[in-house]
Amino acid sequence: MKKLLIVDDEPNIVMSLEYLFKKEKFEVFIARDGAEALEIVKKNKLDIILLDIMMPNVDGYQVLKYLKENKDFKEIKVIILSAKNKTTDIELGLKLGADKYIAKPFSTKNLVKEVKQLLKLKYI
Amino acid sequence: MSSFLVISIIVVYLAFIFYVAYWAEKNSKSKWVNNPYIYALSLAVYCTAWTYYGSVGLAATSGLKFLTIYIGPIIIIPSWIILMKKIIRITKGNKISSLADFISLRYGNDRFLGALVTIVCVLAIVPYISLQLKAISETFNVITNHTISGNSIINDTTFYIAILLAIFAAFFGTKYTDATEHHKGIITAVAVESIIKLVFFLAIGVYVTFYLFNGPSDIYEQASLLPNFNSQQTINGLGGGFNWFFLSLLSMVAIMLLPRQFQVAVVENKRERYLKKVAWFFPLYLLLFNVFVIFIAWGGNIIFQNQGVDADLFTLMLPLKNNNEFLALLVFLGGFSAAISMVVLSSLALSTMLSNNLIIPYGFLSKYSRGESKENTESIKNIRRISIFSLIIVAYFFYKNFTLDRSLVSIGLISFVVIAQLAPAFFGGLFWRRGSSKGAKYGIIIGFLVTAYTLILPFIIDSQVIESSFVNEGLFGVELLKPYDLFELNLFEPVPQAFFWSLFFNITVYVIVSVNIIGSYRERNFAEMFVDNSKYASLHEDAYVWKGEAYVKDIRKVLIRFLGTRRTERALNLFFMKYKMDVNNQLADARLVNFSEKLLTGSIGSASARILISSVVKEEEISLKEVLSILDETQKTKETNKELQERDKQKDDFLDTVAHELKTPITSIRALSEILLDNEDVDYETKNKFLSSILNESERVSRLINNILDLEKLASGKEKLDLNKNSIKSTIHKSVEAVTQLAINKKIEISETEVTDANVIFDEDRIQQVIINLLSNAIKFSDKEKGKIAVRTKINEHRIEVSVEDNGKGIHSDELISIFDKFYQVKNQTVLKPVGSGLGLAISRQIIQSHKGLIWADNVKPIGARLTFTIPLNIKKHEKVIDSR
Amino acid sequence: MKKRHQQKLIILSVILLFLFNIPLILLFNKGVAFMGLPILYIYIFFIWIASIIVSYLILKKYYE
Repeated sequence: MKKLLIVDDEPNIVMSLEYLFKKEKFEVFIARDGAEALEIVKKNKLDIILLDIMMPNVDGYQVLKYLKENKDFKEIKVIILSAKNKTTDIELGLKLGADKYIAKPFSTKNLVKEVKQLLKLKYI
Repeated sequence: MSSFLVISIIVVYLAFIFYVAYWAEKNSKSKWVNNPYIYALSLAVYCTAWTYYGSVGLAATSGLKFLTIYIGPIIIIPSWIILMKKIIRITKGNKISSLADFISLRYGNDRFLGALVTIVCVLAIVPYISLQLKAISETFNVITNHTISGNSIINDTTFYIAILLAIFAAFFGTKYTDATEHHKGIITAVAVESIIKLVFFLAIGVYVTFYLFNGPSDIYEQASLLPNFNSQQTINGLGGGFNWFFLSLLSMVAIMLLPRQFQVAVVENKRERYLKKVAWFFPLYLLLFNVFVIFIAWGGNIIFQNQGVDADLFTLMLPLKNNNEFLALLVFLGGFSAAISMVVLSSLALSTMLSNNLIIPYGFLSKYSRGESKENTESIKNIRRISIFSLIIVAYFFYKNFTLDRSLVSIGLISFVVIAQLAPAFFGGLFWRRGSSKGAKYGIIIGFLVTAYTLILPFIIDSQVIESSFVNEGLFGVELLKPYDLFELNLFEPVPQAFFWSLFFNITVYVIVSVNIIGSYRERNFAEMFVDNSKYASLHEDAYVWKGEAYVKDIRKVLIRFLGTRRTERALNLFFMKYKMDVNNQLADARLVNFSEKLLTGSIGSASARILISSVVKEEEISLKEVLSILDETQKTKETNKELQERDKQKDDFLDTVAHELKTPITSIRALSEILLDNEDVDYETKNKFLSSILNESERVSRLINNILDLEKLASGKEKLDLNKNSIKSTIHKSVEAVTQLAINKKIEISETEVTDANVIFDEDRIQQVIINLLSNAIKFSDKEKGKIAVRTKINEHRIEVSVEDNGKGIHSDELISIFDKFYQVKNQTVLKPVGSGLGLAISRQIIQSHKGLIWADNVKPIGARLTFTIPLNIKKHEKVIDSR
Repeated sequence: MKKRHQQKLIILSVILLFLFNIPLILLFNKGVAFMGLPILYIYIFFIWIASIIVSYLILKKYYE
């Protein structure tokens, strides 16, 4: 089973994503902020992370930087899910190493497709 | 000591200094080269051989008077934080590279004035350079036991030293055509020499005080037995006091206007913040240098009593008399360092002035406007090199023929007085808009003439031993015109007297002429830019008022002749980028004209730059009034623009934040709805959870939209308040009830016991909204189970005060005001989610303000926050209250 | 550095101007000795050192 981490501080968004990916047979982990996210990353071999940017304490950019600078974690796929959608934000995210940048509000079907493509799973 | 030994040591020392300069140029980015201490130490070039030998001589013959040369600097240096900063900013902003350029530019880029200043400086400084050469020569003779004979030039070591110094100055000083480039090599070398001369002087000071004698009191006791002692240690009454005052004033001017001082302090300044170190470091340096002077002088007087030794040479003679040749050598090298720093730096400063303000504007411009850039730059550099050599050689001949008998100090002081003639034009230019170029010119000329009459003429007569009754009986025997005692005041010594009268006439003429003859509009433009520098500094080229017709291609051609194609293109590109103009623009505006003049100023001086540029453009006459009003307008437009841009940005930021806040709940709504639609097999429990969440988030969206609209309505005053007489106690109670459930959930107590009732006129719904908002915040930030919230009221004659206090974690002191802002981190939006209460407090504040009240927050002891608002008891009768935020 | 702190330094200059000149300096214009040295000399150097210290303190405290 592929391991997926959801990093977001909005409970309702987390709830929807959790249901969505559990149905797609992923093992789902949840973090409410960047610090929690890094804890989970260190304890589990994750395949992909859905990352929000605006979070208290440690924000998404800092998490992303940490992951990509660390040889143990830089292979983990990262999709940024953020309400910030200015060109500068998108450029920054991709420059820091995100594999994909998806703006909120997103389509659930589209999100699932992107995740599967990144993990090279067959898209049903 | 044998000449050969001393000469070898000199050569080695010069090689060392040469190497220091070379190393500094190679490592010009190193922190050893770019630091405030190097800058501060370079200022110590103020202390020349005069300080080393002449001060001691003066102290030995006239007591404490030698201190006046340093008291001036001590007094003025604290003010440099403001004064120097202004001068440096003007200099850097206009690419000024010398004192002559500064003055010439201020008075409308006046060519003649620049030349006049240059001539004055040359006349003042060449004798000063001779002084240094004389000191080197005399001390060399003393230490090698020669007698001063009529040496031919070939045998005169000093001549060769002079040539070497010229080579040093020319090599390190004329690397770049642009004279505003920093001469790091020379400056670092000067700084190193400042350290050396101080250390060696302290060594001799300690030696005399503690080795030759038993400490300061011992010297004092022995010296007090000498004749004239007491009168030397005091100021001679009122007259002495005046002399003292004017001499300090003189040195105050000198520390700023001596060309070498202007060069190191202003032109070579790299960062304004270096001034911070200078303010205390430089006076400290001067203190250390002067501490032992009086003791050396007394020691010399005691030991060399009645032996006819020149007091100027005490510093060197004392160790020699005691056969301490090593120390004598150190003294010699120290004095040597002091002398050569002065010679190198002064000739550099003067050569820039000669080339940029005298030679080029009056001779070479037509040649340059036809030449190629390589030729032109070489020519400019050569003019400067030739100037350096000429200056030093003339100084050498001057020393040979003129200075044989006079003491070091008197020539130096004459130099000071001549330079001081530039003071009214300089300082007047900095602070007085009316100061005009004609005023400056006439002032300087008449000041110089008075100086010549009262100091220079008598000096020449004396030193050439010309028979003349001029000094003793005045011009044509008119006693009132005795040069040393004009108008028979009988109050001053020669130097302070000359200083007083020359400046008196100088300033009078400057002021009267400036007030009566209005300057040209060009002058006035620069006058505004200089005097009001802080206001116009940010305008840069916009502050230059110019009307006419000019073409970029013509200007470009002129620039290429001096900067070469590559640099010209680079500069023009930068200019177009800065003002967001099209690179292919054909017409040049005032800004480009000014910009181009500045580009050329460094290489050929401001007057020449202006002449060259104006030769390729067609300028229209504008009236003085127009200039002033255009300047005013430009400045105001810039300010308004800035304000409007700020407000635009704030609006944008606000809209961004609103959009962001809305997207979050909508994301949940969409995601949850899609899942429910796409999946028929969602279990009952989950379906319920999802649907309630969708409902919640929808409410959240509408709440947010309502809040924003509310805020806008209140802020714009579109909604009228529904004012009625209400009981504040009942409103408070209703508010508490509304939040009771929230409080119970967190097991927090809310107390209303300290609420007294009153009938107040307000909009009940709105005030209830405010109190509910304050209570919900208090609940949100209080701890579960331990939270205690208290609502209180206080009534006085005109208003009622309601406060909500909690014992939560309190509010950070720098956020006490910003929590009332909309999404209060809009301005410094970081990525982290704001932890504030969004719009609630902003709305509350708006409501209270509409009631002509005040709302604020503070922290309470031991822990917790208190939010308080006041509203007038009867708003309808209420006078206008000043809204203080 | 804020304007009002800069002005402190200007005031220092003005104070020094008065301390170093008549009439104030004449107060110490006796030919007497103080601590083994002429009193005028001690006075001048004392003010000198004080001004260095005061400048240093003002700048340290208020210069950003």
